[in-house]
Amino acid sequence: MTVQFKPAETFRDTFTYKKSPEDLLRFPFPFPEDSYMYSVNIEPHVRGGPTAAFQAQFDVDEHYIAECKERARILAEDPKRCQVLPHMMTAEWDSLEMIMENLAADYPEHFTLSKDGDAWTWVNRPLGIQQSFIFGKAETLPCGPFEYITRQAQGDFTLQDQREDNLFVDGGMVTSQADWSLEFDIGMSFQEWHGPVPLAHEKGVFDRALKYLLRLQYGQPVRRLNWTMTVNPRLDTSPENYPVWGPDKASVTPENVAEKVHLRVELQTLYRLPRSNAILFGIRCYLTSVADIAKVPKWRRRLHRVLRDLHPDIAAYKGIPRYQQMVVDYLAPLDDGSATSPGIAPDMEKIEA
Amino acid sequence: MSDQGMKSRPTYAPLAPDPSGRHHLLVVEAAEVPAEALAEGVVPSAFEVWTVARRSAVPSAPAMEEAPGSVAIFRSVTHLFSALEERLARETMGLRLYAAGAEPFLWDVWGRAEKAGLSRQETAFAEVGPKARRIYCVHCRTVTEGVTTSIFTCPGCGASLFVRDHFSRRLAAFMGVQVDAEVPGEVPEAEELYA
Repeated sequence: MTVQFKPAETFRDTFTYKKSPEDLLRFPFPFPEDSYMYSVNIEPHVRGGPTAAFQAQFDVDEHYIAECKERARILAEDPKRCQVLPHMMTAEWDSLEMIMENLAADYPEHFTLSKDGDAWTWVNRPLGIQQSFIFGKAETLPCGPFEYITRQAQGDFTLQDQREDNLFVDGGMVTSQADWSLEFDIGMSFQEWHGPVPLAHEKGVFDRALKYLLRLQYGQPVRRLNWTMTVNPRLDTSPENYPVWGPDKASVTPENVAEKVHLRVELQTLYRLPRSNAILFGIRCYLTSVADIAKVPKWRRRLHRVLRDLHPDIAAYKGIPRYQQMVVDYLAPLDDGSATSPGIAPDMEKIEA
Repeated sequence: MSDQGMKSRPTYAPLAPDPSGRHHLLVVEAAEVPAEALAEGVVPSAFEVWTVARRSAVPSAPAMEEAPGSVAIFRSVTHLFSALEERLARETMGLRLYAAGAEPFLWDVWGRAEKAGLSRQETAFAEVGPKARRIYCVHCRTVTEGVTTSIFTCPGCGASLFVRDHFSRRLAAFMGVQVDAEVPGEVPEAEELYA
């Protein structure tokens, strides 16, 4: 089935972003069980999975063009949302190759990569781009190779350099983040950039995750899901712009809660890069309103139970206490108390439009 | 809320020469090496010491050659950093760099060390002196020195900033985030925390 792009939808001001019924069912719902606590929930990132969002290495959905346009707009407003430290140039080229090859393999109708030695030609049909360049020669692209390719992919990306038995976030394209700042965090070690996360340090989650990631192998990418909530379908919930989007949180009422509040899921993928030995970290953001979640009986029951029983420290860190109870109250009558199947699959084939 | 439990906040320890080092350079944000900056039994003469007099009438000190046990006095922190940049640019493997002073000074030293190619294992820091913080406003990027309270007004954009314990070694600063972004005007009382 060919996806219908919706290039005009917006993620600010008018907020015309909407999900088609097909798009809703491919949502990577983040809760495999009825309760939530931090864990090292890492699994191999192989094609195929509980929803269609897992069918490709770098998922392209109906919001692709609109999200790329929003990224370009954010970069025009704040160019420092994309930064890479100078010693990461090899990792930049590794990333370009990794993303181009996978997009072309997963979506031949949209993307084509042809190579004649180091002379490459990249065709991106949805964005109307045809670019010939010399692999390894940055001056043959309109901007740095990492910025070039991540302007044409959905989701944020960071580059982790591996040294001193640690990972350092030494680059990134960060325009759809859940409240963290690349300009502030760039150069930080693994423990430092996770510094603000509560509970997980004490549970040893980060030490174990770091050990695991230091051994990540080329050709064997891994993934995990993370989540938070966002008021309005806003991609740019950066700390930089918090004074702009913060007031949204106080705009939720029992009447508008289902349309306003969105479950924000990050499909996080990690790739060892071949030449640089760095790690490319993809943070792909999916937004689904509580009203849309409520169309899937299993998901609405489970979201109700997770939010009702969520540890208060996690709720505070995710910034949801101001409207958490309103979401629980909205979902409670929609939870019939019946058991939910393990895993995240929606357990339904079709949603009536 | 003075300890928000964050792991990006650095910890410090009194200094002792690293036995794997060839030469030990200690830079100090004061006129003397503070006794509490050194581990028990360690004497200042174990290092080449650079200090800051905060006076103009100080004769220039040689700073480009390794001089174990010597003391070089600089007129200001900026003066010291100017010499440190030159010195680190020509240093070779085996140098260990130590710093004693307030937190912003320590991480300003680190920024210069990193630029010169030193790794974290080749440096060590002891925090002495005032605990006032340098704050980076995440909204307008203004850096404010000497913040001692949990909430203060950013001189750049006027936001009431809450001081998070999240620390960037690169910026040598803690993060300030607008405390009343969600409901403008809802500003809690500031507490004196970092004196």
